Amino acid sequence: MNLFVFLAIAAAMVLIQFVVTRWVKLNRLAWMGIWWVALWAAFSYGINPPLPNSIILLFMAIITIALVAYLSADNEELKQAQDSIVRFMVARQYRVALLIVLFAIPAAVAAWTYVSMNEAPQPPSSGRTIHPPPPSSITFEGTAIDLTTANNPIRELQHTDEAAFAEHVANGRRIYFENCFYCHGDNMQGAGMFAHGYDPLPANFNDATTIAMLQESYLFWRIAKGAPGLPSESTPWSSAMPAWEDFLTQEEIWDVIIFLYEFTGFEPRAQGMPH
Amino acid sequence: MKQALKIFGFTIVVSVFYWYVSLWVPQKRTEPPEDIEIAANLTIEEMIPIGEEIVAGKGTCLTCHTMGDHGTGLRFPDLAGIGAIAGERVEGQSDVEYLAESMYDPNAYVLEGYVAGMPNVARPPIALSDQEILTVIAYLQSLGGTPTVTMDTQLEWQGQAPASQDVAPVAVGGNRDAETLFTAYLCNTCHSLDGTAGAGPTLQGLGGRMSKAEIYEAIVDPDATVTEGYVAGVMTVMLDANGFREQVSASELQALVEYLATL
Amino acid sequence: MLTIDRRSWLLRLPLGILVLVLVALCSEPVWAAPQEADPEYRALPFISSRVLMWAVAELHLMFAAFVLAVPIFALVIEFIGYKTGDKRYDQLAYDFTKLLSVSFSFTATLGALLTFALIVFYPALTQYLVKIFSWTFLPYVLLFFLEAFFLYAYYYGWGKLSPRLHLFLGLMLNIVGTAIMFIANAWLTFMNTPNGIDEMGNLTNIWEAINNYIWMPINIHRIIANVAFGGAIGAAYGAFKFLGAKTLEARAHYDWMGYIGIFVAICALLPLPFAGYWLGVEIYAYDQSLGITLMGGTFSWLFIVQAVLIGNLFLAANYYLWLSMARIPGAERFRGFIKYLLGIITLCFIVWATPHSLVATVEEARAMGGSHHPILNVLGVMSAKNTAVNLLILTTYVSFLLYRRANKEAIVSWAKTGNWVQFGIFAAVVIYVVFLGVYGYFVDAQTRIGLSRPQVMSVLFAMVSVTVIDIFLFKNAKSRGEIVWGKISARSQYALFFLAITFTWLMGLMGYVRAGMRQHWHVYGVMRDTSVDAFTPTLGFAGGVVSAIVIVFFLLIAIVFFLAGLSGRKDWEPKSGSRWVRAKASAPTEDS
Repeated sequence: MNLFVFLAIAAAMVLIQFVVTRWVKLNRLAWMGIWWVALWAAFSYGINPPLPNSIILLFMAIITIALVAYLSADNEELKQAQDSIVRFMVARQYRVALLIVLFAIPAAVAAWTYVSMNEAPQPPSSGRTIHPPPPSSITFEGTAIDLTTANNPIRELQHTDEAAFAEHVANGRRIYFENCFYCHGDNMQGAGMFAHGYDPLPANFNDATTIAMLQESYLFWRIAKGAPGLPSESTPWSSAMPAWEDFLTQEEIWDVIIFLYEFTGFEPRAQGMPH
Repeated sequence: MKQALKIFGFTIVVSVFYWYVSLWVPQKRTEPPEDIEIAANLTIEEMIPIGEEIVAGKGTCLTCHTMGDHGTGLRFPDLAGIGAIAGERVEGQSDVEYLAESMYDPNAYVLEGYVAGMPNVARPPIALSDQEILTVIAYLQSLGGTPTVTMDTQLEWQGQAPASQDVAPVAVGGNRDAETLFTAYLCNTCHSLDGTAGAGPTLQGLGGRMSKAEIYEAIVDPDATVTEGYVAGVMTVMLDANGFREQVSASELQALVEYLATL
Repeated sequence: MLTIDRRSWLLRLPLGILVLVLVALCSEPVWAAPQEADPEYRALPFISSRVLMWAVAELHLMFAAFVLAVPIFALVIEFIGYKTGDKRYDQLAYDFTKLLSVSFSFTATLGALLTFALIVFYPALTQYLVKIFSWTFLPYVLLFFLEAFFLYAYYYGWGKLSPRLHLFLGLMLNIVGTAIMFIANAWLTFMNTPNGIDEMGNLTNIWEAINNYIWMPINIHRIIANVAFGGAIGAAYGAFKFLGAKTLEARAHYDWMGYIGIFVAICALLPLPFAGYWLGVEIYAYDQSLGITLMGGTFSWLFIVQAVLIGNLFLAANYYLWLSMARIPGAERFRGFIKYLLGIITLCFIVWATPHSLVATVEEARAMGGSHHPILNVLGVMSAKNTAVNLLILTTYVSFLLYRRANKEAIVSWAKTGNWVQFGIFAAVVIYVVFLGVYGYFVDAQTRIGLSRPQVMSVLFAMVSVTVIDIFLFKNAKSRGEIVWGKISARSQYALFFLAITFTWLMGLMGYVRAGMRQHWHVYGVMRDTSVDAFTPTLGFAGGVVSAIVIVFFLLIAIVFFLAGLSGRKDWEPKSGSRWVRAKASAPTEDS
């Protein structure tokens, strides 16, 4: 919920009710329009995260039906509304406004058509799992690695041998920029030069919900096995992540993991903490 | 006549409006499940994808089970990572046995917090063949574990599935209440409600002694745990003889357990 | 191959003939197609045989529903007229009955077409069903003859027989009609939840096959829904005649007819969700996956469309009541309430139509962090929907209450207190219902489902207690003037048409889901559908078929209205003058 938007809309409505009506008499048709716009604004901007368009369309359709019902539920009010429309169309004083409206309606339709024709084609939407559950163990080049207990062997060096650790970080940096950077980007925001071609987008490592909440062994699994190694329960899934076990050694993968955490400043989730 | 045409036009407008509403929602055409050919000499690696396909398609498992949804209020237990825990659910049962029992005799063991209601998948309307069930077991084992089942694995439940496709499910009883069931299936001849001893232990105060899950188990698999001083096997023979297993529906069984738990 | 129940040899002879005819029809291709001996299906050029079957069955069902429903309330109205001696009621009941005879013929014709289509297009299925239900077809045919007798006796005997005998005929008509529906329901519910058969699909117990899981729920559900549907169509007839009426008396009479018709329809609509709830429970009890396919799986979006339809029904019913106030002097006092009632209805409508899983583009789903919206998620579940529908019912009731007291002024000494008590009951019930709805989020599923009962009971309590107070409150009330029947805008009559069309569409949709939930089975779990039409179509396609059926139905109903209108016409007299005048006189005039 975005409280400010709601307050602003409510304030505008109060303003119209008590101030504007002193100068301009508003009939029911005008009020209908005001309510329609106010509710549309509330649905479109007042709720966070934003509602999908399909839902706003549904809500506004219901509200339109209800408002039309309200307008026509009273004979006099309906007559007034009809009269005001007729007056707008025939009275000389509204001639300019009428011309503007007559021009604006087809222009709006044209603009809407133009915008919707120029929208990038959208892939069909699908539900997906953000963090698929990892298997308990994987095999890497013939050796089994238990993901529930595996630790990053480089991590120990962080406190024992800083020089060697820095060397590993540098190596990780090299590997990252040779391999990962094209998709995950130079700032690790998942916005590399190929990123726009993918759905789902490459992971954004700066986001607090990605590597910051995962164990290093999870990252190892994801890097080593890539999209082909994703468990089937997370389907439908069209990730383009390659299986890096075919290109990198075990140590190189651990190095790049170290680099990811060093670069973003996150700490990996400790082993043994429940996922 | 003009009036009638106007009204008819109105009818068309409203009908088309509702048609539009039905076009607005997601459009999905559901195809009937395809029968998958299963060769007898599949390797484990080949079994897994077939099992997966059956889980999502013909087996209709995902209608009730979820994969990786750890939320509350699930219909049936989540299956993500089932391969890792299947062997630990029931003591004395290997993971293959547990998974097989969960499909052939689903209500023998019901996970705490869930309601019995899964049908035997070897029976119509789902009617998976024994081979298909083996592939499903392989797939489920692969979720968090390593498959050990092969196409040659023998299971005690095999052979009960009817060969033909178009046969009916067992005619299930209906909605008789628990007290009716209690006397209809002669429970009262062995079990008393007032504490007196009989051929079976008294049910007085049962709800205080056993959880609902335990009561379930005691009915559908009476020999799993036998009260000290009583003979194993008697109740199994009795229930087989009086048709309890064939005739009592899942909802009736549930009602019976609810009733016994109040004692 | 066709076995007959051994109990009565008397039944064998006619049944034998029937069976022979059926077998002859099944094994001989009706139009030249000398392929293999017993085809399981036959196809049509241009149109799928399933869609034709679907349309014929649904149209048959709609007319049957109308023919069964109208005698129910025609009889009640006639009885009121008989008791009070008010001739208007008698006339109204007769007006409704006039629609029956043509509709009955249509029902029978469509039924014959349905049988023919079943035998031609689905011979294997038909044979299986005939095998299971063997002798039950016989009482069905006999009852149909009886139905024809009672219906025509009731119609032609109007005013010619003693009132008591006539009422008795009407009662018999209802009993026979209901019995016919019960038998037909057994056949079709068996296809959803087969029972009383063994592993191989052979019959073991015919009573169990008849009394399968959803037989009784469907029976009850259909009786109530038929009344709602019949009332709505009757109201549409009233509206149709109103718009074409030339005299003030005719306007007044048909305005009143439309009001009574829609009143009947709404009264029947209110208990319908509870009958539907029972039906759902029985489906779940039979087979959980069948229930989930219906409510949570393949068909879950269908119920969003249903929510839109029912929301529109409530909105249009309230709208009609508000417009109706124009004919009551003194109603302008309550005009101010309309916007608040409308606000509540709109809010409930929105809650009810909010889907649980959303349609979102990739960008939108990303912004929401998944396929579920954190706020909409709250509105998409059972608790919210139950609360919304209960409040909708209550709001409609309030609209009716305002309508009822529009021209009355209470003169009893405790008028003020009474009003406050009524208000207190409403407030308490609304708070209680909303509280239960919110509470539902914090308990487990089993308890949550149980909460719907106190919600419903409290709403019923509010409606009954407030009505009772209202009756005493307005005893001998001062009147601000009589209701001026006929003084109403044409818009209100279109609201009646809208209600009738929406009811019909809703019926078509629900008929589709009843049949469609079997998915790729003819008889669920027993007989697979192996035809090319075994798939479940998209909702848009189904909606298109339903729309087409609704339009055809209203074309046929227009014929019924036209024919029913003929009886009230003046005798044709040759007029002096040109052929043009004669031609015009014999053609339908403006009021048809």
